[in-house]
Amino acid sequence: MVKKKSDIYSVEINGIKDLEKTETGDEEKYKDLKGNKKKKNEDLKKELDLDDHRLSASELEEKYGTSINKGLSSSRAAEILARDGPNSLTPPKATPEIVKFLKQMVGGFSILLWIGAVFSWISFGIQYAQGAESPFDNLYLGVVLALVVILTGIFAYYQEAKSTNIMASFSKMIPQQALVIRDAEKKELPAEQLVVGDIVEIKGGDRIPADIRLISAQGCKVDNSSLTGESEPQSRSCDFTHENPLETKNIAFYSTTCVEGTATGIVINTGDRTVIGRIASLASGVGNEKTPIAIEIEHFVYLVAGVAISIGVLFFIISVSMRYKILDSIIFLIGIIVANVPEGLLATVTVSLSLTAKRMAKKNCLVKNLEAVETLGSTSIICSDKTGTLTQNRMTVAHLWFDNQIYSADTSEDQTTQPFDQSSPSWTALSKIVTLCNRAEFRPGQENLPIMKRVVVGDASETALLKFAEVILGDVMTIRAQNKKVAEIPFNSTNKFQLSIHETDDPNDKRFLLVMKGAPERILERCSTIMINGKEEPLDSEKAEAFQTAYMELGGMGERVLGFCHLYLPENEFPDTYPFDTDSMNFPTSNLCFVGLLSMIDPPRSTVPDAVSKCRSAGIKVIMVTGDHPITAKAIAKSVGIISATSETVEDIAKRLNIPVEQVNRRDATAAVVNGMELKDMSLQQLDDILCNHSEIVFARTSPQQKLIIVEGCQRQGAVVAVTGDGVNDSPALKKADIGIAMGIAGSDAAKNAADMVLLDDNFASIVTGVEEGRLIFDNLKKTIAYTLTKNIAELCPFLIYIIASIPMPIGTITILFIDLGTDIIPSVALAYEKAESDIMNRRPRNKKKDRLVNEQLAVYSYLQIGIIQSVGAFVTYFTVYAQQGFLPSTLLGVRVNWENNAINDFEDSYGQQWTKYQRMYLQWTGYTAFFVSITVQQVADLIIRKTRRNSIFQQGLFRNKVIWVGIFSQIGIALILSYGLGHVTALNFTPLRFQYWFVAVPFAILIWVYDEVRKLLIRRYPGSWWDKNMYY
Amino acid sequence: MATLNEKKTCSERMENFRRFVWNPETKLFMGRTLINWVWISLYYLAFYVVMTGLFALSIYSLMRTVNPYEPDYQDQLKSPGVTLRPDVYGDRGLQIYYNTSENKTWERLVTTLQTFLTAYTPAAQHLNINCTGDKYFIQDTFDGPNNTKLSCKFTSDMLQNCSGIADPTFGFPEGKPCFIIKMNRIIKFYPGNGTAPRVDCTYVGDESRPLEVDYYPANGTFNLHYFPYYGKKAQPTYSNPLVAVKFLNLTRNVELKIVCKIIGAGITFDNVHDPYEGKVEFKLKIED
Repeated sequence: MVKKKSDIYSVEINGIKDLEKTETGDEEKYKDLKGNKKKKNEDLKKELDLDDHRLSASELEEKYGTSINKGLSSSRAAEILARDGPNSLTPPKATPEIVKFLKQMVGGFSILLWIGAVFSWISFGIQYAQGAESPFDNLYLGVVLALVVILTGIFAYYQEAKSTNIMASFSKMIPQQALVIRDAEKKELPAEQLVVGDIVEIKGGDRIPADIRLISAQGCKVDNSSLTGESEPQSRSCDFTHENPLETKNIAFYSTTCVEGTATGIVINTGDRTVIGRIASLASGVGNEKTPIAIEIEHFVYLVAGVAISIGVLFFIISVSMRYKILDSIIFLIGIIVANVPEGLLATVTVSLSLTAKRMAKKNCLVKNLEAVETLGSTSIICSDKTGTLTQNRMTVAHLWFDNQIYSADTSEDQTTQPFDQSSPSWTALSKIVTLCNRAEFRPGQENLPIMKRVVVGDASETALLKFAEVILGDVMTIRAQNKKVAEIPFNSTNKFQLSIHETDDPNDKRFLLVMKGAPERILERCSTIMINGKEEPLDSEKAEAFQTAYMELGGMGERVLGFCHLYLPENEFPDTYPFDTDSMNFPTSNLCFVGLLSMIDPPRSTVPDAVSKCRSAGIKVIMVTGDHPITAKAIAKSVGIISATSETVEDIAKRLNIPVEQVNRRDATAAVVNGMELKDMSLQQLDDILCNHSEIVFARTSPQQKLIIVEGCQRQGAVVAVTGDGVNDSPALKKADIGIAMGIAGSDAAKNAADMVLLDDNFASIVTGVEEGRLIFDNLKKTIAYTLTKNIAELCPFLIYIIASIPMPIGTITILFIDLGTDIIPSVALAYEKAESDIMNRRPRNKKKDRLVNEQLAVYSYLQIGIIQSVGAFVTYFTVYAQQGFLPSTLLGVRVNWENNAINDFEDSYGQQWTKYQRMYLQWTGYTAFFVSITVQQVADLIIRKTRRNSIFQQGLFRNKVIWVGIFSQIGIALILSYGLGHVTALNFTPLRFQYWFVAVPFAILIWVYDEVRKLLIRRYPGSWWDKNMYY
Repeated sequence: MATLNEKKTCSERMENFRRFVWNPETKLFMGRTLINWVWISLYYLAFYVVMTGLFALSIYSLMRTVNPYEPDYQDQLKSPGVTLRPDVYGDRGLQIYYNTSENKTWERLVTTLQTFLTAYTPAAQHLNINCTGDKYFIQDTFDGPNNTKLSCKFTSDMLQNCSGIADPTFGFPEGKPCFIIKMNRIIKFYPGNGTAPRVDCTYVGDESRPLEVDYYPANGTFNLHYFPYYGKKAQPTYSNPLVAVKFLNLTRNVELKIVCKIIGAGITFDNVHDPYEGKVEFKLKIED
């Protein structure tokens, strides 16, 4: 059995390694995990290569050149330190900042813009060489494009860095100290300076500073949970008990904690060479997958870039075949690229994500990686820890049994009273035992804190009892003082009981009171009577039966049950001066009076059941993965709703129908409780079966390594998996998960490093709020993108019509940049503040293959419908401006060559007036401004319609999102400033526009609104119709 | 995650694309059924027909609102532009270079002038009336034929020595070339505020340096009776009055920078952005 256990480690540690290989297909993986166990085991042994646990103390001294009494000499230690490096885990290799920065410079649309910039410079070069009149325009344009790329790159980098910095500050640790013997002296050294061969002393509460071979130990216990997931502390001694270094008792591992006792040992491994160090380095080997939103954005970039390049190339060919000069064609190409690329969009997306990240941080979800914000929203399976995440992580009295009756206690987080019936004299007796037979104490100086928040010295059960008593009875310490303790036998594993003898607080009663608590069956054995309603009654078989039933019932709820009994010692036999001796036990410990049972559990957090049911309605499967006992796990799963009240496991069905487990149709069972031991022997297909066929799954007694297998299993189902974890050994699973969630309070640094998100309050409910935010941002990003893409058509059409119809240029490249990076930025960010249209937690998680961020409908509706209306509106304004200044539309067609000719300074308009080149240019800029203003005005309408995708604007509320109005006003404000404030700066190509031109496009803006309202109305009226399918994005 | 990382081979991609174009199982052509394609095409057809209609309607109503005789605004035409003939543009504006000994170099300049003046022959001007007054020729009514307004005659002989009649070479071979200055038309523009605007040519940047110029008509004025201009529809036969300048003492083999301004109230020539507003600058180099 123990031998088998080592298999788990070997398989899993190596299992992780498998992931590094390219995934050649499931077949091979199955084989790897199943068939090669033995070989793997060998590998691990070789890898671990530890035989120190077999060596005797003197052999060890020899091997490491040290002395157990004197330790290393400082000089020797310094030498080894220089050779091995400091005793700390190398943090996972971070991408160099410069690489991150450069990535921002070339990622996404940047490449297209660089191409545009380079083309600009090339055409500048050609023009300059030809000595044309004003070639600097293209130089400036290139510079502006390059600046745009660099600035948005810097911005995105800054945003990334900002969110990473939160984490950096978070992971900073207080340097650990270690007590080392060097030069025959005990010294406090930073743990980082430990070297192999150092003699260290550890005591209860310390973190083990390195892998240590123990030489001496007194009652030493270590908590290996971060390494093996076993939550029970394990004792450590200097005896060699097992061949496997991971199993033997004389080795304590780095980063585990010493729970109690003291020990001395030789450091045998430091830093990355420790067992934990190896696991941590394996974790960093698990490749980070692209986040779903990154995939979506990539898809979107491809789409837009595809459109840009194909239109660009198409019109390059058209313009060349229309006998435009190559140089001109290149300039057109630049314009088309600039018009097509939403320069500001990626920055907007980053801002929206970081806004959401901020909002999530407020709700205790700290997001390390901005993109993970959305991943949480597309999550379809959450693998959650139990302890601390689903539960409060503290034992609490849940039930009481006295007077033949089970009472429930309040287990909520902030209990102040207990509602159960406290009138029975049996309760008075029981409460006295609970109060007195308890060694736990509050730390002093916490009188003002609520009882539940006070720190207690003592173990978990005693703490629970102390707090329980304090809540009901008031000041426990005073009661204890009034009932002076005269003798005590603490709990130990042989006796399985705890006993103490007290004076009573009744001055007239000189009897001593003996109180005892412990394992119920052991306590019952020692009792001959039982208290019913305050009266002692003989413990007959009927009453014993009642006890058994109650005990089983409480135990079946996964609760830890304690029995309580007492005995008033007769005054004549035990006078005041009676010398109680706990070693010889000169007092009765049998024929006591049984008083009652108390059962304790780590109760679920009160917000969790609600959160779980939210997950359920949101189509998210919650899987509990815990190292705890199946019964407890199932009980908690039931109480929080992970296993719903009506569903049954195979075992439950078998029990109900009274048939063997094998005969139960597995499909009938919706729930499953899988033991880690079963899981170990399962093939991957079997695991897949379980994951597929049961909607409610609990994995109990699992090691953290098995989490990785579970996560992979879920991912094979195509799910987006969120995993919570706190231990070092969780880090591979956290990395492997689509979104790893580390616990902020209980989590180890390794877990936090590997995770994408940190839950500051360790509360499962926070994950659910995170999911909600993630889904909302996905919807809102859709809106943002739809908003941004629309005007691209209104920016692109001018170029196309300019090329084909040879009209004067309707809008300039620089002007386009002013829309993309000026007026449109704040409104598109404002859409990130939009409230959800319907209950987003009532729909299934999006299918990452089908529900794209930018789908065909979105692109087509934005580009070919709203975009076209915008273009028409803008062109009407353009023609109006030209017509009212003297150029009627008919005159404009085909006018381009003469219009742009510097040598024509008496260009005739429709009325016979003659224009110089500059006068025409100024008119052209007025046209730019008018076109710009029209797009801006229509973008206001576009912004309003994008608030919702299905609901009417009036359902959503026009004024609920105040930020939208900030957006609208900023948009108009920036346009006003550009036109009237900067209208005289010729380089910007803006002119002070006649006021009425602002309103030419207003009817089209209204048309956009009305059209979209009609679209939404039809979508709501006829769900599933042709219209719905084609018009809903 | 494996599903997302699948690297597809080229043939797989092609196959996928072919399935996208025509999927025989689902009968989908480019992701839609054929009937669906018909519907969507019809919808877009209708949509674009409506949009075209709206656009046409907008332009139609725009055309209904604009005045056929004069534009609503003349925001850019506050001051008329000035042009020069012959007009040869180099990299930095007008550059008239020629060599007196090489006929070819000036013949094309002369041709430009001759061509330009064909619009000013008596035959070309026969529809216009002779005007004599030195006042603005204000017409509130349509007195001309076909509901038009009358235009004053300007014939090339008014340019005397530079008319090309006496000297068909416009003085180019002698190094005393004629240039014709023309002021751009602006509707209802009253230049000079009652005084006839006149052309004044100087060296650029050195106005005191004497430049001997003969102006035709006398004093280089644009007679006021050519103004105001009532637009193409009202005055279909209108032709701009001209002023010819003949430079008499040009230094040979040196590039000369000359500016001809039009002096008159309402005509500005200090717009830094527009080199042709109220003035015309040109470089002249006569080699021999």
